[in-house]
Amino acid sequence: MTIDAKTITRRTALGLLAAGAGGYAAFGPERRRLHSGGRVVLDYWEKWTGHEAAAMKVVVDRFNESQGRIFVNYLTMGGIDQKAKVAIAAGDPPDVLGLWNRNLPFFSQCGAVMPLDQLKDYGITESSYAKAVGPLVFRNGRQLAAPSTPSSIALYYNRTIFKEVGLDPDSPPRTIEEFDVAIDRLTILDSDGDVERAGFLPTDPGWWSWCWGGFFGGHLYDEKTGLATVNSPQNIAGYNWYQSFPKRWGLDKLRRFQGAPIDNPSPYRNFFSGRLATTIQGPWLPMFMDQELGKGNFDYGACPFPVPAALADQPPYGPIEADILVVPTGAKNPDASMEFIAFTQRPENMETLCTGHAKPSPLSTSSEAFIREHPNRAVAVHEEILQSPNAYTTPWITGWAEFGMALGAGLDQIWNLKSPSAAAPLAEVQIEASEILQREADRRHRRGQPDPWEEA
Amino acid sequence: MKHDSLRTGLLWIGPWILGFCIFTVLPVSLAVYYGFTDYTLLESPIPVGTQNYERMLHDEILGTVLWNTAIFGVLSIFFGTILSISLAALLSKPARFQSFWRAAVFAPSVLPLVAIAVIFKLGYDPDPEVGLANQMIDWFTFGALKGPNWFGSGFWAMTALLLMSLWSVGPAVVIYLAGLRDVPKQLHEAASIDGVGPFGRFFHVVLPMISPVILFNVIIGVINAAQVFAVPLIMTGGGPERSTYFHSMYVYDQAFKFGDMGYASALGVLQFVIILMLTGLILLAGRKFVYYRGA
Repeated sequence: MTIDAKTITRRTALGLLAAGAGGYAAFGPERRRLHSGGRVVLDYWEKWTGHEAAAMKVVVDRFNESQGRIFVNYLTMGGIDQKAKVAIAAGDPPDVLGLWNRNLPFFSQCGAVMPLDQLKDYGITESSYAKAVGPLVFRNGRQLAAPSTPSSIALYYNRTIFKEVGLDPDSPPRTIEEFDVAIDRLTILDSDGDVERAGFLPTDPGWWSWCWGGFFGGHLYDEKTGLATVNSPQNIAGYNWYQSFPKRWGLDKLRRFQGAPIDNPSPYRNFFSGRLATTIQGPWLPMFMDQELGKGNFDYGACPFPVPAALADQPPYGPIEADILVVPTGAKNPDASMEFIAFTQRPENMETLCTGHAKPSPLSTSSEAFIREHPNRAVAVHEEILQSPNAYTTPWITGWAEFGMALGAGLDQIWNLKSPSAAAPLAEVQIEASEILQREADRRHRRGQPDPWEEA
Repeated sequence: MKHDSLRTGLLWIGPWILGFCIFTVLPVSLAVYYGFTDYTLLESPIPVGTQNYERMLHDEILGTVLWNTAIFGVLSIFFGTILSISLAALLSKPARFQSFWRAAVFAPSVLPLVAIAVIFKLGYDPDPEVGLANQMIDWFTFGALKGPNWFGSGFWAMTALLLMSLWSVGPAVVIYLAGLRDVPKQLHEAASIDGVGPFGRFFHVVLPMISPVILFNVIIGVINAAQVFAVPLIMTGGGPERSTYFHSMYVYDQAFKFGDMGYASALGVLQFVIILMLTGLILLAGRKFVYYRGA
């Protein structure tokens, strides 16, 4: 038998290709669906790292040990919302997904999450949650997500500095008017007018740029009409107050103050170093205090953020957010996913998780031990905001990411004193936001989806 | 026999063609198709005709990002070209440690852009005790001038990005160096005999001779500038007031942050058409200004 060299080459090439394909099929990546013990494996994607991821790991381990049918494979990652979109679109989503409440309108509108109606069978209803938390995950009576850890934002203050300037640390300012007076007393300017210590700065850390109008009773969006209300009088008042800081001390001086060198890369560095007497922050702040400054070395207090005198007698105002758990559409084991989510919602597991995150519990009631042993001694303040009808969050709209970016650009103008008042920049944002909402409505109509206010 | 070798050839390039079709032709075709749809990625695309393209006509943010990209492109290419030709001219002269200087110019291009962006962000810190840029301004002016707040205004933020773009001129310098080596010595000598000075020789001999290389680098520069993304994303996030918000960032935001894959695809097609047109225009202009030896 004669062997043609060309034939060998072809055969070799085809053989190599076939071997590669066969090898990939045999040994390539494959989603584990069954654990070695025959248990159903749930892939749970979460966005946390560090101590936050570790806290949920405790709950996951507890679940895996509590029964022998389901095994939760816990994976943490960055950019989870974007990765989740791609995975869901590709038809290979995880079984449980940890998102933020601000993602929920978009995911639910697109039909990318399954309603968690089955949680009723585990005794979970809207009344299981704190008053302000329920609306974050329920829509038109249906549960679309389960909260994992919520947060409410409050005013933290340095009690030592309060005492130093003659303010009563047990009676922090309740109104904006009182707060403005306190800020002036807490602030130290040097002979050149440079800020040595700021009583307060709304841009430190600057994480909740959408919140300022809310303290004045404003809303960015009217759910009943589906219209943007960015330049309402309350929002203008809120953002005028925001603008009062560069007006008060000078933009350049504030820039230098915030850019000044401190041997601490933490976002809390100005507050921890005493250069900032008060700050707007979440419930996790004391945990970082203990980590960075040593346990109990910083004498802090917390209270709901001050509001105008006219609103001071009402339940506290404050922005809230929540990490949430959802079951993506296309998840392979929805019943098992529900069982795991229901497990996380049990008070003992929820309190373990929220203690690990140093956050308040999203449930309607918390145990005494939770409050007593919580790493934040002011956790009751945060729970009070979660129970308040005046707590507020980002609007329930699918275009919040774009809306928020438009607001951010408007805020740059306000802070950089491009306009003498917040009214004109907010009017521009209002136009942009209205266009975003109109596009959103067009998309719904195109797909035959009802408008949310009609659905409600 | 001829037919047989064609088959063999096709067989050998088959895997590449397959990869090209799957990873280039298909995505580009899909992007063109999605540009005519309403597509959120999580729902099926719905054809909307030319709506996405009509939206571009009154999209003020698109106007802003195109303007920013154009400004960045023109200035970074202009200053980058001057700097890289100057560096190449210097490095082409015999000098001690010549290899070291050449490596030093090229080395920054090897570093990951993300790392450089983080370092530059620190370097632009407004406080002269932290930010190297303001430290240098302070030092060179003996304290007479205070450095700006680089990311506090649109002008300075764009200036900061432009200065940073000059950091990675290394690859262009290498290409210019090769071009400069190809300039015949006889032309230099002839010009010298005719009494032409060094500057005259540079402008009337060297520049025309390396004009094809300049053309190539300008085209690459246009393509890179039109796609600028990672550095502004890290350094400024597009701010302040969208003054450093570029076209690629807008495409990314529309696709993955705002969930409007249809509009993002249309914006991607626009970007492709703009780059194609600019490249065509530059090549057309090149016919008049570029000198090809032996052509």
